[in-house]
Order: sequence, then structure tokens, then C-alpha cells
Amino acid sequence: MVDNAVIGNEEPGILVRYFAAAADATGLDEERIVLADDTLGGLRNELLARYGDPMERVLRSGSFLLDGIVSRDPDRALGERVDVLPPFAGG
Amino acid sequence: MPDPNSAGTFSAISATPIDASAVEDFVLSAENGALVAFRGIVRNHDRDGAVTGLDYQAHPDAERFLRECCETVAAATGLRVAAVHRTGSLAIGEVALVAAVAAPHRAEAFAACAELVDSIKASVPIWKRQHFASGSSEWVGL
Repeated sequence: MVDNAVIGNEEPGILVRYFAAAADATGLDEERIVLADDTLGGLRNELLARYGDPMERVLRSGSFLLDGIVSRDPDRALGERVDVLPPFAGG
Repeated sequence: MPDPNSAGTFSAISATPIDASAVEDFVLSAENGALVAFRGIVRNHDRDGAVTGLDYQAHPDAERFLRECCETVAAATGLRVAAVHRTGSLAIGEVALVAAVAAPHRAEAFAACAELVDSIKASVPIWKRQHFASGSSEWVGL
């Protein structure tokens, strides 16, 4: 029973959260994505393959938030969760 | 206003109208003879379109990034620094951002406030959707 409970809580993949224009591009607030290439570059390619031009516009000058740090480094290893951040437009 | 984050800075994300005078009052002190405050205000046009309002959305961590902007400027200058950013639906003329810096003399206050606003615009995860008179809308900056 304990093993089953543990397995039940371990959802596969990385939690990807979408904000503002990224949520519009996907129609989602978040989803889990399983990647062969567990890097920001791998995620970027997967997002472009899934969501096409609207996502390309978001990522052109957008960024990602991982472990509290904003990054655009394609070699950056992914953890449990990553946020897709469209270009900032505060002020 | 709530307590400051740390000595010399105050920052917040606010879903309700910003009390600009409270932000300015935070940076005032007996040794400061110059106060520079910036208000970012929703305007009625952008490029060629007539704008009717803006919806601001902040990332859940936006307040931390705003605090880091204030603390970085405060640490670099030794000045008192405060900033509050709005979220939600704002009409033309409403205040989206108040940033304030006080210094003994005006030159430092002008420079630090400009640096603070540039830093906030560049590094705080906040987005705005612009509504046009035509009925269409778009995320700004895409």
C-alpha cells in the first residue's frame, strides 16, 4: 500500500506553468511535460513543436524561471518545475 | 503602509489603488533634502491605437523581484528607496507604478529613481494586456 501511494504521488515529467501571453498561447495555466532532453533548450524545442507561432512570439524575448532564477540558458538543467515568462511589461 | 522589508526600502505589489503619498513619505527623512518620485500612469494611446485600459498581471514571485530592485538601488546608493506596483484592471489615468527615492541632494535622487524604474521594468515579472478602442486587445511587449 505504501509503495502504491508513493507511485501515485509521483507524476511523470516536469511541471510547466504558463503566465499571461504564454497561458494564452497554450490555453493552459500549467501542464506536466515529459522530456527526453531535460534542459531549457529541450523544453523550448518541445514548446515550439506543441504551440507553434504564438509560443515563438512569447519565447523570442521571453525567459524561464527555475529555482527562483530567471534564465535563458539552453544548457540549464531542469528541476521539478519551470515557469514560462513572456517579456516583462511592468511600469 | 506595512512594515518595510529592511532598513531603507519598502516594496509591494498591490491589487488596490496605490497611495502615492505614503510611498513618498516612506523615503522622507530629516537628512534628505531631495525627493524624486515616478508615477507610471495608464495612457490613452500606444503607437497608432486608442487605448481604453490595461490589465496588469504579476507572477506570484513578483514582489520578491521588486524588493530586490529596491534593495539593489538602496545598497548601491545608500539612499531610501520605495516602490509599489499595481495589478488588476486599470483605467486611463490610473497609477500602475510609484517609485520614490530621497537623497540629501537632487542629482543623486534623480539618478537613483531613474535607475530604479529601469530596473523594475527590466526585471520584475509583470505583464499587461492592452485594450483598444476598436475592441481588440494584446499583450504588450510581444
